[in-house]
Amino acid sequence: MALRAVRSMRSAACSLRAASAPAAPCLPRPWGLRAGAVRTLRTGSALLSVRKFTDKHEWITTENGIGTVGISNFAQEALGDVVYCSLPEVGTKLNKQEEFGALESVKAASELYSPLSGEVTEINEALAENPGLVNKSCYEDGKLSLELFQRIIATVNIPRF
Amino acid sequence: MLVPFSMKNCFQLLCNLKVPTAGFKNTVKSGLILQSISNDVYQNLAVEDWIHDHVNLEGKPVLFLWRNSPSVVIGRHQNPWQECNLNLMREEGIKLARRRSGGGTVYHDMGNINLTFFTTKKKYNRMENLKLVVRALNAIQPQLDVQATKRCDLLLDGQFKISGTASKIGRTTAYHHCTLLCSTNRTFLSSLLKSPYQGIKSNATASIPSVVKNLLEKDPTLTCEVLMNAIAAEYAAYHQIDNHINLINPTDETLFPGINNKAKELQTWEWIYGKTPKFSINTSFNVLYGQSYLEIKIVIDIKNGRIEICNIEAPDHWLPVEICDKLKAGFIGSKFCPIETTMLTSILHKTCPKDDELHSKWNILCEKIKGIM
Repeated sequence: MALRAVRSMRSAACSLRAASAPAAPCLPRPWGLRAGAVRTLRTGSALLSVRKFTDKHEWITTENGIGTVGISNFAQEALGDVVYCSLPEVGTKLNKQEEFGALESVKAASELYSPLSGEVTEINEALAENPGLVNKSCYEDGKLSLELFQRIIATVNIPRF
Repeated sequence: MLVPFSMKNCFQLLCNLKVPTAGFKNTVKSGLILQSISNDVYQNLAVEDWIHDHVNLEGKPVLFLWRNSPSVVIGRHQNPWQECNLNLMREEGIKLARRRSGGGTVYHDMGNINLTFFTTKKKYNRMENLKLVVRALNAIQPQLDVQATKRCDLLLDGQFKISGTASKIGRTTAYHHCTLLCSTNRTFLSSLLKSPYQGIKSNATASIPSVVKNLLEKDPTLTCEVLMNAIAAEYAAYHQIDNHINLINPTDETLFPGINNKAKELQTWEWIYGKTPKFSINTSFNVLYGQSYLEIKIVIDIKNGRIEICNIEAPDHWLPVEICDKLKAGFIGSKFCPIETTMLTSILHKTCPKDDELHSKWNILCEKIKGIM
């Protein structure tokens, strides 16, 4: 499911974002997307990032200690039209698996859980005015936030769909 | 059948719910029906939180029946200033609660039944729950025309809303709750759920007003008790469990450790008002000056329920700019709340020179501002 979702994106390769450059141009991934690519574990200080998914359908890409978080295509389809995004304040400290916000769609409030520990350094302000971006572009314009991690966690659970 | 929930019963039942089904071979479907003995909206919402956080619902869904004394309940991401008449609510002593699920604003009184269906996330299915309610209604009154809409409302005779739905989806569990209008005070409902506040600009989720009707108006045999029993019976039949409604006391810490803290949190200003998404108010009011009226413009930005930006434009000849600025500065950071404004006004009075005319103008201005809070 996740692999099909990644392939269906217009700019599937683009996932690298620095904290200070909100509109960085898309860079192609050096490795091709093939069955099993999403399951590869990158350990140590990853300079190039791969999108990692939790079993609750949040994704994260990390670069130099800064991570970007969003929800998967599977999740946004299951939710339906998102009408509100409740995100934490910049500066909030989060623990792994801690609830950090919610997405509302068709009268349902779905909780969001942090895939990693760290401090929120930026949130996607566009989602306040335009929560539908989560549906239209869950890996790009509809991503939820950026987080700075005080420690790089070496391994992350890769999902089974 | 109503069964008083003795401590021993309850402890066993809740313990059973916590034991993973893998622990014992269980081919018989299981579940539980609970009914609150409390009519306090905060205590009842706290029961939902507690079950959501603590109970393992794998193979053991729960139905919770509850009613509240007059209260207005807003959805998690809503703006109470946009949704209801807070002034009227304060006058009439109507409670305001913010629930943790999504959806719109509703009015509860003892003529309204609340139903909460707890399941695992996998088994979350709102239409299935609503179909169960419709079956229950038709079991007692086969002629009744009740249908579920795509938006998960229940409509009577194809036009009157008798039930609204909302839900919360967590990590492993979910709940779907809905109202059911039996004999609610409809006139009061309409006046309470009409906001008089002008000039609000907000991204909060907005309610969709609907024409409502009570089931009792359609059929005088459909009392709250009859409806609750019918729904419980249908739930018991569907899940193949005993038709026992277990009465619970939501303030009992031995049954629900930590529940009173949950109820307290739901009553805090920070949760009820402070959780309102950022919004702004752009409005004006008139003050009598001599033989004519002066227009005072006011623009306020409110974040986390507190005033972030405040602009008051009053004619300089009525209120000097420095005095106006002092008032504006005083508002920054304070709660968007009439009680806080009253306190602020008296503090400012003390810091200002003793000028009766000025104080009276200040009071007029503050009364007008309190009127939009």
